[in-house]
Amino acid sequence: MPTYLSQLIDRPVWNAQALRLGKCQDVLVVETDQGSPMLRALQMLREDGTETFIPTSQISTLSPAIILTVVSPNAYEPRGEELYLRRQVLDRQIVDVEGHRLVRVNDLQLAKGAQNGRYYLVGVSVGTSSLLRRLGVEELGRRVMLALGRPLREQVISWQDVASVQADAPIRLRVTQDKISQINPVDVADILSDLDRSSSVTLLNILDDETAADVMSEMEPELQMSLLASLAPERAADVLEEMDPDDAADLLASLEETQRESYLELMEHPESVEMVKLLAFPEDTAGGIMTTEFTTLPMGYRVDDALAYLRKSPQAQEDETLYYLHVVDDQNRLKGVIALRDLVMAEPEALVDDIMEQNVITAEPLMPQQEVARIVARYNLLEVPVVDPEGVMQGIVTVDDAIDAVIPTAWKKRLPRFY
Amino acid sequence: MTVWQRIRGRLQRMFFFLAILGPGLITASADNDAPGIATYSMAGSHFGYTFLWIVVWITFGEMVVQEMAARMGAVTGKGLTDLIRERFGLRLTLFVMLALVVANLGTTAAQFAGVASSSELFGVSRYIAVPLAGLVVWLLVTRGSYRRVETVLLVLSLYAVAYVVSAFMIKPPWGEIARQALVPTIRLETSYILAVLATVGTTITPWAAVYMQASVADKGVTMRDYRNTRIDVVFGAAAGNVVSAFIIICTAATLFALNIRVETAEEAALALAPVAGPWAEVLFGAGLLGASLLAASVLPLATTYAVCEVFGWERGLDRSPEEAPVFYGLYTTLIVLSVLIVLIPGLPLFPLMWLSQVANAVLLPLVLVLMLKLINDRLIMKSWVNHRVTNVVVTVLAVLVSVATLALFVSGGGAG
Repeated sequence: MPTYLSQLIDRPVWNAQALRLGKCQDVLVVETDQGSPMLRALQMLREDGTETFIPTSQISTLSPAIILTVVSPNAYEPRGEELYLRRQVLDRQIVDVEGHRLVRVNDLQLAKGAQNGRYYLVGVSVGTSSLLRRLGVEELGRRVMLALGRPLREQVISWQDVASVQADAPIRLRVTQDKISQINPVDVADILSDLDRSSSVTLLNILDDETAADVMSEMEPELQMSLLASLAPERAADVLEEMDPDDAADLLASLEETQRESYLELMEHPESVEMVKLLAFPEDTAGGIMTTEFTTLPMGYRVDDALAYLRKSPQAQEDETLYYLHVVDDQNRLKGVIALRDLVMAEPEALVDDIMEQNVITAEPLMPQQEVARIVARYNLLEVPVVDPEGVMQGIVTVDDAIDAVIPTAWKKRLPRFY
Repeated sequence: MTVWQRIRGRLQRMFFFLAILGPGLITASADNDAPGIATYSMAGSHFGYTFLWIVVWITFGEMVVQEMAARMGAVTGKGLTDLIRERFGLRLTLFVMLALVVANLGTTAAQFAGVASSSELFGVSRYIAVPLAGLVVWLLVTRGSYRRVETVLLVLSLYAVAYVVSAFMIKPPWGEIARQALVPTIRLETSYILAVLATVGTTITPWAAVYMQASVADKGVTMRDYRNTRIDVVFGAAAGNVVSAFIIICTAATLFALNIRVETAEEAALALAPVAGPWAEVLFGAGLLGASLLAASVLPLATTYAVCEVFGWERGLDRSPEEAPVFYGLYTTLIVLSVLIVLIPGLPLFPLMWLSQVANAVLLPLVLVLMLKLINDRLIMKSWVNHRVTNVVVTVLAVLVSVATLALFVSGGGAG
């Protein structure tokens, strides 16, 4: 469970010897222009009615109870740069980038960092469930809504979307209303890897399947595995379906046999068949790193008809990159490739078969990954088609997956994103 | 200076003055709504001119409360329920909001009941007049900008002329009236106290404060041009209560003198006809219609402002229905519900009105206390906090209203 501000306000503060020192009045954060500002101090009302600040470095846990690491804490001196969450953020108006009123801050979501054990502010709760929590009837509401078949979900706006918090002004987001849930997957993956596991799962649960899948694809394998295991199996299968087939296959390959089987069973039919196919190849071969999302075009089309065909093709809809079209015969054997650019620039009446590249550089499914990377680098390719000995299309290896073998992941992140 | 130039100068000054008028006059005029007119007619016919001095004092109370609301709107640019949520948290805010919705729904239904009675005075069926009134009110707000809505509402405030004309045609004893207005006559009868409370309750209302503050904020008034808003508030409260006084004068001069007691506005109109002539019925009916329409536009608007402010949803007359769907959706719902309550026979109009009066009675002292706390908070109001005298006046008002309400509830009284 993540921690919410509403669960801290007016709660008792205990010292290391389980003595009650006072109650929490407010929470101060710093670096509010960061994606997840760090908690700096608690404002506490002592039993004798005086106020003091306790630095978070002397706090052991915030939930389920506020417990300090010391017996008598040193007072923290506010420097004027802190943001008071209860006084300045809770219940305030939120407006979007154009100044339209959206909603009010019902609650604030805090999470504990995995590495340093510090707490961070990650999001602004705005939905019904946070309203109910403030009223102390969240559990009741949750059950009622579940019985009505409309389970309550925590609605959270990421603090990344918050542009500014100023006294006397509404909290302004840096996005428009319809863009709020579209958080950049790379950023979310970064936040997730900083958080402890339960907070990460909560965050992942508020994203839709597609965003969650994009976020998962951006994470380190160990974190992927642990997060996948924390999701409900049905939800995990939904997320796997939305991931790029090669990424999903890699993830599945790293799981235990029984776990993998159960996910495959929960997945929808075409996706699970593809997975089984991809899983059959060793991980460090062309087959292991290829994706089955590519676009084919039957032979004999005119350029204008081919473009019309593409617009209707479900393959093309799914294909996120679509740099090349793969021209195949009726046996699905690769006959040539044509870059989308060349197709667009060609005369409408020309035949695709006449202008396509017929001498295609391909890879066999069992070709080692190193070799694929070498081909990509040598011929300056954006992708390599993978074909079986009969020439039947199996998949494509894209440049980013190919170079994974030769460049460490940390470097890759710094490279500009082609894909 | 030629005569023409002098007239033009006068006209210019008059137009400037008219341009200042806005939320203050609208709220004060809407205070004399259908139940309000019923209350004044009743008071006038039961107690005669001895009720007038109360109206004078209530005027000051209304001025003070409405000026506070307007000032908070100008300083903070926020509505009253905005501030209540930010300062007092969610629970109290939701309580205030729910009470306000219940109170206002009942009162809005009462306005459409007012439309029904006045149209029936003119021989038009309520099944034609009430839906038509609902449609007109709905179109006005959903299609208009703030400026246009305000103009139409100000024109509607002219219903008041009907009562002023009536009073002059009746030719009451003006000297006696002036004396009674200045010299208090205190009567300790339950029915008299009830009538006083009802008058306070219809003149100083939580929704009026909410509407006042929201419109000032919506209009974008700041402290730099606040002087004009204050003139609007003071003039509005004065004008609104002069109208109340004229209604009392009309009924006191005719019905009270002849020992005819009435309880409602249409009874008053019907009773006036044989005494003062058929024109009296027409004028009273027209006044009731205008007042009901005005209040039927303003009340749901105040309710919607409050609900949207509490949850932070987009609101305001200058937003389109696409930009502020909840604002317009809620407004529509309130009007449709009120129309239905009035039109469907057997629907519990009276229990609802009673409930709404209870809600209003509980809410008024609470809102006054919350307003006092907010307006004396320097973090919110900076240097524009209340003067000490104003605090004393509002505190006394809150205490009086609470004590009187409590006493009535204890003694088992109810609907006023």
